[in-house]
Amino acid sequence: MLTTILANQQHQIEALAEDWLSAGATSFSIWSDDLPLKIWPQNSYLGNDPLIQEIKVDAIKVGELRVTGLNSKPDQERLQAQANLLAQIARLERDLNSMAVDLIDTQDQLLALYELTQATRNFLEIDQTLARLALETTRLLKVEGAFFLVEMGDRPPIIEYFPHPILEDDVQQNYIDALVASNHGFLCRRIVEEENVLGEVKDSNLRNILLVPINVRNAQLAVFGLLNKLDGEFTSPDIKLARAVAEFTGAQIENVIMYQLNMEQAKLKTEMDLAKRIQDHLIPQNQPRVEGIDLWASSRSASQVGGDFYDFIMRRDQPFTFSVGDISGKGIPAALLMAMTRTVIRTKTNVVMMPSPELILRRTNEELYDDFTELSMFATVFVGQYHPEKRQLLYANAGHSPVIYCPMNGKARLLQADGMPVGIMPISLSEDHSLNFGPGDLLVVATDGFSEARNRDGKEFGYDELTALVQTLVDLPAYSLAKRLHQIVEQFSGGEPQSDDQTLVVLKGV
Amino acid sequence: MELKLRSANNVQILELAGRFDTYTAGEVRQWIEEAAAKEPANIVVNLQGVDFVDSTALATLVQGVKNCRQLNGDLRLCGVQQSVRMVFELTRLDRFFEVYSQETEAVKAFAN
Repeated sequence: MLTTILANQQHQIEALAEDWLSAGATSFSIWSDDLPLKIWPQNSYLGNDPLIQEIKVDAIKVGELRVTGLNSKPDQERLQAQANLLAQIARLERDLNSMAVDLIDTQDQLLALYELTQATRNFLEIDQTLARLALETTRLLKVEGAFFLVEMGDRPPIIEYFPHPILEDDVQQNYIDALVASNHGFLCRRIVEEENVLGEVKDSNLRNILLVPINVRNAQLAVFGLLNKLDGEFTSPDIKLARAVAEFTGAQIENVIMYQLNMEQAKLKTEMDLAKRIQDHLIPQNQPRVEGIDLWASSRSASQVGGDFYDFIMRRDQPFTFSVGDISGKGIPAALLMAMTRTVIRTKTNVVMMPSPELILRRTNEELYDDFTELSMFATVFVGQYHPEKRQLLYANAGHSPVIYCPMNGKARLLQADGMPVGIMPISLSEDHSLNFGPGDLLVVATDGFSEARNRDGKEFGYDELTALVQTLVDLPAYSLAKRLHQIVEQFSGGEPQSDDQTLVVLKGV
Repeated sequence: MELKLRSANNVQILELAGRFDTYTAGEVRQWIEEAAAKEPANIVVNLQGVDFVDSTALATLVQGVKNCRQLNGDLRLCGVQQSVRMVFELTRLDRFFEVYSQETEAVKAFAN
């Protein structure tokens, strides 16, 4: 230490020596470990009884100043002041050195973290990321082994070792418990043979251990452990680097979770889009041509998939039959049952010769009652059938509304259902009813997404208002009427999100 | 939505207030399932404070009735507001439920 000062402060120290010599001293010298480092004048004889003053840094002797040929008290005091000054310089020199070492350490840490970032950037699973981090930190921190333990949400705990587990599970758990119990940001233990115990558990493989918590949002426990430093003990820079790795690991885990979440959402969205395409395909793609009827149907689902449906069944030997339905609930469950209900209605219509709407509903209810009960759901269904020879419309209604009928030059009215929805009771109470359906007669079968649409103030559009609205549109052809109904209800909602599916079948006698 | 629970004459009473819909039905379903598992499965649901029901809410009540009737009990309704009554009438679920105007009447009816 003094050698460095002698080299760096050469001129100042020489000035001190010259001062002493000109004051009458025969020599001035600097010593370290009982050997002279430098003597002024050079090669001078070091006489007896020198004045000696120790140079002490933090109470440790690092050298001496010696003067011969003078021994007064003021000389002694002057020498002491100079020794203190050199001690102060030595202290500053030492601090500077340690700051330089810290700076190098920091740079090393940055490089190490850069390497870690590079090594783990391509991993998309938490366990892969942690396995790679364990490998890299073992190398970077020069330890025998490393491990990561992460317990998060309801996933099974993730634990990754490199190169292999060194501790018994219960010993490891004891150290983790000790880390959690202490309020320090880390746990660093040096294990000497007699102290090779933590709690009741011994482990002869362990020389030293460093544990650092990892900060991960929503994790019950996340820990990074380093075992058996190869070249001695864990130092302060090791702890700093380990904490930096833990911080990086936390951020990396969160990134991976975020990525996985995005992937899951993207996957879900793709599946929903596919479900929507399938559902769109289940409702008729084209409006059929039915002699004596101007027909239009449309459906807008509130969520991506919905529980509303309509269907047209055309067979050469049967009257034109159509169905409109609404499954209770929303989203995928409603959509699944919608597909099932539509198919059952279609099948029941096709297997019987000349089935009436009442029979179709009865058979459908018999088929679906158990499943609907099991799933706590139901479906309102309207089935209509057009008999051109009588210009009559036969229908049966299982709890479905709104259904609005407006005879030519007459008043629009809501047709109330007589039967309960499908899936409520094992028997069906819906009966057949008939309507005259000549030119100008109008039937609108909608779903409650129309009548129960709400505006910003929470007010419902209403069944009576819908009936009155249909009355005003009675002169329009089916397509224009359907379009106007959608438009007016949308305007009423004033931009409020559509809360329920809106399905519409419009039939007009021509 | 608010749920208030009480019992009278061995009848479990659930009083609801607010919107009874897809988002609030889960809590009601859970309560009804638990209540309907105990004999006598006699439940009165007081809808006096409910101003809106959707199809999920109706399905929840329907399931409650089915569960209770399996144990020879029943789930009955009372205090149905006009707007909610209309939904029951339009779907004809008024034919499925026993509906009373007063809670005391609904409770008393179980004694007969």
